[in-house]
Amino acid sequence: MAEFTLKVRRFKPEDRQGPYWESFDVELDPTLSVLDGLLQAKDRDDGSLAVRCSCRAAICGSCGVKINGQSTLACKTMLEEAQSYAESHAVAAQEGGDKTAGNGRTEIVVEPMGNMPVIKDLVTDMESTHWKKIRRVTPWLLPEGDPPEREYIVPPESMIDITQSMACIQCGACVSSCLSMEADPDFIGPAALAKAYRFVGDPRDAEGKERLHDLAQDPHGIYDCTHCFSCIDACPKGVAPMDQIMRLRRAAEHEGIQDQNHGHNHMEAFTKIIEKKGTLDEAQLLQDSYAPGIKGKLVPKHGAIKGLLESLPTAIRGIKTGKMRSLPKLIPGVHAKLPGDAQDHVKRIYAHAEDHEIELNLYIRGEEADEQVEEAVARPGADEGLAPGGGS
Amino acid sequence: MAYWPGCVSRGFTPELHGSTALVADRLGIELVELDRANCCGAGVIAEHNQELADTLNARTFALAQQTGLPMMNICSTCQGAQSECEQRLRDSEYRSHINESLAEEGLSYDPEGFTNKNFLWVLVEDYGLDKLKEQAQRPLGGLRVGPFYGCYILRPKHRLGYEEHPERDLYLDRLIEALGGEVVQYDGARKCCGFPIITMARDVSLRQAGTHLGDALDAGADCLVTPCPLCHLNLDMQQPEAAKVVNRDLGLAVLHLPQLVGLALGFEPKQLGMSKHIASTKWVEQRLAEPVAA
Amino acid sequence: MPDHDVLVIGAGLAGQRAALAAAEQGVSVGIVSKVHPVRSHSNAAQGGINAALQEDDTWESHAFDTIKGSDYLADQDAVEIMCRAAPDELLHLEHLGVTFHRNEEGKLGTRAFGGASAARTYYVADITGQAIMHVLYEQLMKFSEDVARYEEYFTTGLALGDDGSCVGAVCRNVRDGSMELFGAKAVILATGGNGQAWHPTTNALICTGDGIAQAYRAGAKLMDMEMIQYHPTTLAGKGFLITEGARGEGAHLLNANGERFMEKYAPNKMELASRDVVSRAEQTEIQEGRGFEDGTVSLDITVVPRKRIHEALREIVLVGRDFAGVDITKEPIHIKPGNHYTMGGVKTDIEGRTNVPGLYAAGEVACVSVHGGNRLGANSLLDTLIFGRRSGVDAANRAKGREPAAPSRAVLRDEERRVADILGREKGSGRRVSEIRKELGQTMDGKVAVFRDAEGLNEALETVKRLKEEALTCYIDDRSAVFNQDVLGAIELGYMLDNAEATCVAAIHRTESRGAQYRTDFPERNDDEWLKHIDLRYSDDGPEISYSEVTITQWEPEERRY
Repeated sequence: MAEFTLKVRRFKPEDRQGPYWESFDVELDPTLSVLDGLLQAKDRDDGSLAVRCSCRAAICGSCGVKINGQSTLACKTMLEEAQSYAESHAVAAQEGGDKTAGNGRTEIVVEPMGNMPVIKDLVTDMESTHWKKIRRVTPWLLPEGDPPEREYIVPPESMIDITQSMACIQCGACVSSCLSMEADPDFIGPAALAKAYRFVGDPRDAEGKERLHDLAQDPHGIYDCTHCFSCIDACPKGVAPMDQIMRLRRAAEHEGIQDQNHGHNHMEAFTKIIEKKGTLDEAQLLQDSYAPGIKGKLVPKHGAIKGLLESLPTAIRGIKTGKMRSLPKLIPGVHAKLPGDAQDHVKRIYAHAEDHEIELNLYIRGEEADEQVEEAVARPGADEGLAPGGGS
Repeated sequence: MAYWPGCVSRGFTPELHGSTALVADRLGIELVELDRANCCGAGVIAEHNQELADTLNARTFALAQQTGLPMMNICSTCQGAQSECEQRLRDSEYRSHINESLAEEGLSYDPEGFTNKNFLWVLVEDYGLDKLKEQAQRPLGGLRVGPFYGCYILRPKHRLGYEEHPERDLYLDRLIEALGGEVVQYDGARKCCGFPIITMARDVSLRQAGTHLGDALDAGADCLVTPCPLCHLNLDMQQPEAAKVVNRDLGLAVLHLPQLVGLALGFEPKQLGMSKHIASTKWVEQRLAEPVAA
Repeated sequence: MPDHDVLVIGAGLAGQRAALAAAEQGVSVGIVSKVHPVRSHSNAAQGGINAALQEDDTWESHAFDTIKGSDYLADQDAVEIMCRAAPDELLHLEHLGVTFHRNEEGKLGTRAFGGASAARTYYVADITGQAIMHVLYEQLMKFSEDVARYEEYFTTGLALGDDGSCVGAVCRNVRDGSMELFGAKAVILATGGNGQAWHPTTNALICTGDGIAQAYRAGAKLMDMEMIQYHPTTLAGKGFLITEGARGEGAHLLNANGERFMEKYAPNKMELASRDVVSRAEQTEIQEGRGFEDGTVSLDITVVPRKRIHEALREIVLVGRDFAGVDITKEPIHIKPGNHYTMGGVKTDIEGRTNVPGLYAAGEVACVSVHGGNRLGANSLLDTLIFGRRSGVDAANRAKGREPAAPSRAVLRDEERRVADILGREKGSGRRVSEIRKELGQTMDGKVAVFRDAEGLNEALETVKRLKEEALTCYIDDRSAVFNQDVLGAIELGYMLDNAEATCVAAIHRTESRGAQYRTDFPERNDDEWLKHIDLRYSDDGPEISYSEVTITQWEPEERRY
């Protein structure tokens, strides 16, 4: 048994006061969770402390909260781990105030999830944000025509592949942690886009291209993700929403979708530049993101002129201060290649890799142990055969 | 150290490359520049083709291994992009496939004993902050510095070594203090500068940069410091544009990590290339010249 | 007043399936859930769903396994219906988009499960329940015009008409505390089980036996309430479930001496004997001193190939890591039997009808009975879907051509008064809700568990009766309207106590061991006297006992060996 203090961000709408902090002292085995702590506080001290919870085992997705500033599930965060994090990190209280409880103990800070309105205490309004965005991506299978008599035949890898997206328990932690959404509340968001991949990656769905087109063209779609990894860290089930968004981008690229957000162009430009020059030619990147050339001629796409013009003041300032005074920097394409035959080797790497495009997904593969793993002999007939123990 | 300077430090933020050279020299850290190495891909190439990004970075790792020295980078983005590839390359079957590609150049990547650390981690874990403190000929005299880490050295924790080094997301704070500065706590310290979407969602990108700069100013910062040149581009080079998006005056100096270290070591701002910045660093220079009484 | 043809209470697998099936019949449907539908406990069902879909499998074989597994207490006509309908239902799910595992040919692939004579369990990694439920919810979102969803509405009681039929329900909107009367021509209870009356349990905090108690109070019969399943592999202390799928993949059970002890108890099926057999085996090992100090035995999953673990047992890798600090790919994990499922529940016929006209039940809340004295793994998901669908269809047919129900507003006032009474109790006027709940849970797990006897059961019943008295004056802290979980907890406590009382009474009454009920004072199965169901009906003096026949079609009861 050990003692902890939970500093909870509370809000009682009927009291007509704003949010406030309240600290609860709890006494529990340190290997129990913050949720267990909250429930003890509820049971012993104040039953009005509102927190959604159900399974206690990180499968129902009810208890999304922010603990010490990190979006996560309360049932999955152990008290001792939360305590040591709070102690070593400067956990900034939102309205200032002391982090230590009256008894000198560092407090574990518990707040409702971010990017959502708060209903009461730790309960947020997920309907108006999370669920609305989920519905935005048409989250049901859109097969073509009538279903077959038996099952659809699909490659087994495809089902395993989208299991990563399917593992999502809709807890909202990713939405809570999303930095793009902080700056752009209309961003469709990690949960919805991960869900979208579940359909794009499903061979039985017939509208994959349409889905990709829709999400690529939407300015709040897949190219609005600021690539900050927050959702990957927050997700308790290993869904890695940002990775799913990147897979959507990849899929969009394969479908040849030229989006109006310059996302495709940017990715293509970057890749091509490294193939030619080995290191980044920023000026070329800027130009090609907006207006990729065809046979050396500028071919501006939608919004390209605007984009290029917007970048002009920045370029001018760069020249003024001396950052970009040399030719290779100023003029796209003059950037030097890698020395010697290095560039040729890079080109050969490109040829090889672009041929295969292997996508190693550690979620599915698992990580190799350091020692030799003795693979047990696979049981014969596991899939279509008999129960073990020799029974027939 | 086998030194990978990255692309941007030799491109749009040359002051980073220059100041790194000065500082490393003064600290006695020998830098063997990997001039044949290629861009890390910045996560963008991985978006397009993971195998390509993994091969390109395996090449850089192999080149570093040829020197027999541990590898060092000076960019959060390089660190993150390369660590992502490093994680996948631990799979031996995959790695032997990748090494086939490198064989033509006579290269091969072997994860055994390989390390790649960015300059911040090197200073804290290998060089040591106490030792660094001793070298500071001109401690920062209470200069109020807001740390800006950069997403790519913060997340996702599981592939950036946070299990063995759980306080890597505090290093910049510690460094500032060791150099005699005062750490400014503000909301954006571990958030995103917006650089990855500057061409794709410009407003959203600059709103992030502008918001964090504004929050740091409100918290009383004299400057920001960042170990990532891409963050520097969005926070410094794009600062006037960011100011328009968030509709407020900004004007907050943003220093590269080696520049902050260099100032404490006694170098002059001009030597460290601070005059090349878009956001003027005059205020910082003033504060250093006449430190305000505590 | 929200008025629908069919009102479904509970939005887990059974409820969602019933709602979709009813909507397909063209009637207006409302579905009520005290939590957001995807939070329902169906999402915890990990291992899989049974169906005799393979060419070389037959529904008769599936049915026999189920009936044998039930220790011959299951009603065979209901089992036949369920097993016959299983293959089509499975294909229906696949067509909706469930991401079932495939074999190399791209067809649906199976895994082995407990008590089955053939591998007929279809699965999605180890998140089958979650996967199916989320796909059904996708369909609800798709058909939101046809099924009105009332998410986070807590049902406090059923509404009965003058003729004793069910005409609706009273629900509290959790968000703002307002109480509403819902009218319906048919009400389907799909509220799940009552595991929270035991502590520990694998069940979620929401599994408080709401529908069982509500039906009971409305005059519906309960059946087989003594049949409570203890799952063999749960984590000690926390009660979390480790799926049977692990054993299906080949994991071994070992005692503290490293012996694979199932050899003594079920030499043929070993770890994949039916759950009650395995739980009793483990409990015996533990009680006879061959267990570990923490009252457990161990489950060794390291014998399963790593690749397979990552493919198909991912969830337990996480559970092991996050909640037990164990890497199951490297070391065995300590487990023991834990409260898991109630085979008993509201008595229904094969269409899901209870003896109260207009009131249906489907899923764990119901007792048709297909599981009899013990449920096979991967049959529960099947049960919820088959009988969820049947109830939905039958309820819709009942509703067609019927006059709108007109529940009396007096019912609403009664419920409002009941809630107000709880809200109005003074602090310190009695015990706290959590104290009573804790005592209930410990009593039930101590005396109404794997091994039972008359003395323990009677003590448990006495305690439950006392706790019922205490519950009448228990007080809460929260008097507010918005998201008041406190008052809901007090109401749920009442439900749990009703459930516990029924279980104790039935367990005392059955002087026999069958399926999950094992009486150390009556250790033998006694078909002559006890091949029948125990039914309970509410009365102010306690549950009234009667019996109903076990329907036998093809399979005469035999001795049950694994």
